[in-house]
Amino acid sequence: MRKTKFLGTKINPTRFHRSQLKYILIITPVALFMLLPLVYIFNYAFKPLEEMFYYPPRFLVEKFTLQNFVRLFSVTGTSGIPMSRYLFNSIIVTVLVIVTSVIFSTLAGYALSKLNFRGKKLMNEINTLALMFVGVAVMIPRYLIIEKLGLIDSFAIHVLPYLAIPVGLFLVKQFIDQIPNELLDASRIDGANEWQIYTKIILPLIKPAIATIVILSFQSVWNSADTSITYINNDSLKTFAFYMNSLTTNTNGVAGQGMAAAASLIMFLPNLIIFMVMQSKVMDTMAHSGIK
Amino acid sequence: MAVKPMKRKKRETLVAWSFLSIWVIGFLVFTMIPLFTSLYYSMSEVILDGEGIKVSFVWFENYKQVFSSPEGFNFLKSVSDFAIEIIFKVPIITVFAIIIAVMLNQKIKGRGFFRAIYFLPVIIASGPVINQLIYQGVATIPIIEEMGILSFINSTFTETLARPISNIFSELIVILWFSGVQILLFIAALQKIDKYTYEAAMIDGAGPWESFWKITIPALKSMVLVSVVFTIINLATFSENAAILHIKNNMFALETGFGFSSAIAWLYFIVLVIILGIFFLIFKLFNRERGRR
Repeated sequence: MRKTKFLGTKINPTRFHRSQLKYILIITPVALFMLLPLVYIFNYAFKPLEEMFYYPPRFLVEKFTLQNFVRLFSVTGTSGIPMSRYLFNSIIVTVLVIVTSVIFSTLAGYALSKLNFRGKKLMNEINTLALMFVGVAVMIPRYLIIEKLGLIDSFAIHVLPYLAIPVGLFLVKQFIDQIPNELLDASRIDGANEWQIYTKIILPLIKPAIATIVILSFQSVWNSADTSITYINNDSLKTFAFYMNSLTTNTNGVAGQGMAAAASLIMFLPNLIIFMVMQSKVMDTMAHSGIK
Repeated sequence: MAVKPMKRKKRETLVAWSFLSIWVIGFLVFTMIPLFTSLYYSMSEVILDGEGIKVSFVWFENYKQVFSSPEGFNFLKSVSDFAIEIIFKVPIITVFAIIIAVMLNQKIKGRGFFRAIYFLPVIIASGPVINQLIYQGVATIPIIEEMGILSFINSTFTETLARPISNIFSELIVILWFSGVQILLFIAALQKIDKYTYEAAMIDGAGPWESFWKITIPALKSMVLVSVVFTIINLATFSENAAILHIKNNMFALETGFGFSSAIAWLYFIVLVIILGIFFLIFKLFNRERGRR
């Protein structure tokens, strides 16, 4: 009986056993707290305006209404560009960022974690320090560089700055560190070159890390209107986040609040979908995949 | 083809840099160069107008201004608050993440589901939503106020310490929302432990408690520092953070401007590096102690 308490490689034990009870008793209540933000987002969007300003505030919706959504869709953007165009931009940008940032950060993470070369330690330290620096502080210098490169008002600027995010590399490297060196040495003896090791061993083994990065970078790119506001003047190149943002900020006052709530639910749904698709991989155990 | 075989070391360096190259270029252009430009700006008077940007070098004038002006004083106060908060929050998050990770690594029914729920706040924990939740009072556990913990804290500590500490208690649940990635890191480390190690320990007569301290915790050690680093970054770059709002607000302010704003950004950066250094030292000392025993 004791044996069952410790590690297993299957993610979901099929049977319930009394010994699990003590964990479930702790985990379940805390899990409820973890769900609060989600419940909040859904409830808030369906609240009628007067309920939003109740004091003391109430958490759950009392009179369910769609009026926030109706109002959101009845205002039209000032630019005359259809919503689908913004949506299309956003999807392209998000997909490009995710694919490229995963490729580059895993490549770099492999090199920084498992290869020996001059400057490795320095690179790692620079990356960790760069993590500490706040993005807002470099806004203006970054703008000047982008201007010099002639990238203002180009589609590429949505993607390029996201290619080298220190956080992504930092996380990937930690996961690759977990892979035993013996595994790589064994394949080197079998004649694999570094590229083969990267594609055949590293990538399959760090699926959870990749899934995590996909979720994190999806979230930061999809929700961000910053690039559109700062670097893009041409309305047809702006993104959906910007569109949603502008709709709600153009309507001032109380009604704007309701629309903002509806807009944030709409913006949030794709996050949730991506999360549900990816989460099984995130939570998947690395142990499944050959490290025993 | 008569290519001279390269030495292994040299070849590895070459491969490594080619793997790194694109990332490094992006990092240089969009992170490092702007970073050093902002260091230069922090020692300059920067005037932005319709025509462009005028920069004149003034050495440490901006930094002097931070320590002498009311705006600078407000900034320093929010940074010191933040520093105290972070020193308390980081251990709380780390310990919480370890406990949850260990539990989510047990064989329990619906384990995948629970893991997903604990990771879920990561995708929602954006500034506006969290602020709304705090405002709504969702973030506090009612029992804490009912038991008079907050008033106890306010009466026992000096004001500078009491404020951040009572903040922590009133935002206890928010703290938990910031631990999704850390839980994941610890789960990844836990999975590296061979289950036969536990069996062997059991046969040698170790109970679950001993196994936990002698097998589980040492295996998590490497991830503790990683999780600490991640936590500091996550909290420090949180968009509604008071210090960041100061940086933002001063950027285009008439009296202070971008030079001043860069200066406070660099001060903030230095404070963060010091905090990281402190945790690093604690971690090192702790490890040495353990090693001796």
